[in-house]
Amino acid sequence: MSYHDPEPEDPQELVGVELPGDEAVTREMAATFADEFAQLGLTRIQILSLYRRAEYTGAHQAWRLLGEDEIARIVDESLAVYGRFVWVVTDGPEEVAGSVAQPLRLVRRGS
Amino acid sequence: MPTVKNWQLGRDMAYPYDARYPERQFAFVFNINRCIACQSCTMACKSTWTFSKGQEHMWWANVETKPYGGYPRWWDVKILEQLETANPGAQVWGGTPGDGRLAPYGTFEGQTIFEAAARALSPDSARVLGYLPTDEEWNSPNIYEDNPVGKRGVRNALDDTGVQLPVHKTWFFYLARICNHCSYPACLAACPRKAIYKRPEDGIVLLDQSECRGYRKCVEACPYKKTMYRGNTRTSEKCIACYPRVEGTDPESNGEPMETRCMEACIGQIRMQGLVTIAEDGTWAEDRYNPLYFLVHVAKVALPLYPQFGTQPNGYYIPPRWVPRPYLRQMFGPGVDLAIENSISPSRELLAVLQLFRRSNRIIFRYEIEEGPKIYEGSLHGRKVELYNDTVIAFGKDGRELFRTTVEEPVHVRSNAHANSI
Ligand code: SF4
Ligand code: SF4
Repeated sequence: MSYHDPEPEDPQELVGVELPGDEAVTREMAATFADEFAQLGLTRIQILSLYRRAEYTGAHQAWRLLGEDEIARIVDESLAVYGRFVWVVTDGPEEVAGSVAQPLRLVRRGS
Repeated sequence: MPTVKNWQLGRDMAYPYDARYPERQFAFVFNINRCIACQSCTMACKSTWTFSKGQEHMWWANVETKPYGGYPRWWDVKILEQLETANPGAQVWGGTPGDGRLAPYGTFEGQTIFEAAARALSPDSARVLGYLPTDEEWNSPNIYEDNPVGKRGVRNALDDTGVQLPVHKTWFFYLARICNHCSYPACLAACPRKAIYKRPEDGIVLLDQSECRGYRKCVEACPYKKTMYRGNTRTSEKCIACYPRVEGTDPESNGEPMETRCMEACIGQIRMQGLVTIAEDGTWAEDRYNPLYFLVHVAKVALPLYPQFGTQPNGYYIPPRWVPRPYLRQMFGPGVDLAIENSISPSRELLAVLQLFRRSNRIIFRYEIEEGPKIYEGSLHGRKVELYNDTVIAFGKDGRELFRTTVEEPVHVRSNAHANSI
């Protein structure tokens, strides 16, 4: 965290350059997060809080730029597809009691 | 210099040693679209391997904010610039990305770090084009990451809006990196003492501390800057791919191959690591239902990082959808457009395979899909979407089922207080 004014002589000082990017890019980033986290099974509240919280700067920046309503629309669009079901993960049956798992043994080729 | 086959470049290339291939190769896929830069991976590695005196600036696993950030700073810009200087205007790809395993991204017509070294460097012992980062460049692994800053004079409290930092006004993304355990390691090629070796059983690249004399040739040569020098031992160190876990000899693994610490810790569930089978010619042997093989060679959504460097890295990335294509093409090669198209509207199988990420810490050697009925048909982002009630089953090294993931319609439980509402 920076608590000082910038020191131009400091080699560690942030020196950003602006690269082309526009609202469409931000919108696409917001839609990507929405798709990914909807696919992971997060709820609407959970996904929206990702945008609202300043810690997640990418998502949060989109929220600040596009506004709560637009972000909610983007999230709902993803949830309309990927929020239709939940993923259920079931662990496989445990090893048969008493059997000893073997370490991976791979044959060396050639010399 | 001997010639080896580099399938990522779609051609043969010069490399200081003859080709030798492992039986299996340590490899991983990171889905950048999901990374939230929580740095859990970074800290998992740090707290396991590099917490000692002399390792303060050593981050085998790191996550940097592109395009500004880098650890060490400007690592990729610098090596790209060196290559461009060595071969001006000719670092280009030709041909067209195809279906085969041999030249999936077309053909790279420029020079790799090995080829450029042969032409541009002297003496002959300089085998790899590279540079030694300065201490300052190693100092700030997290530079340009965008955590909101606190208010002036108020410590240990975040500012609600984070307005104090120069906010990225444009696109950026988080690039998580570890050593790529390259098929043609530049670190290995450059070491005059042959202290670096590639294990025949799993392709993990290790640096023998007892042989190392700290010449830092590996640090200079690795284009990804993933070997690091430790001042108080005067030797170099690098990522060891948590090899006891991958071998299944770590006590926690109970004999079964396990994914590395950075994979296990991933909050965003962006990471999957495994072992792929290598064919006699060094390409990935067809292994259709290995999830990594599927993502790289069938779905073609995961691409190598800077393949043009020529080390044939074994880290693959699902590229971020929102980033301008020219930047991505430089970073991941010509496969970018297809990879993004395929990941925006995932196929039935891809959607299932993406559900294998981080459901277990065991290495998945094979998956199987039990097909279920179609449960939804519609569109998203202007593309058709179909969802199926499929079950994807993951199997470990001995064919034992690790877990299965299936879809269910959600059940809404109404609270007692609002029994009549939805
Ligand atoms: S990424 Fe660098 S350190 Fe790792 S194997 Fe490749 S050349 Fe060596
Ligand atoms: S743990 Fe995963 S989500 Fe978090 S920074 Fe690392 S790669 Fe990204």
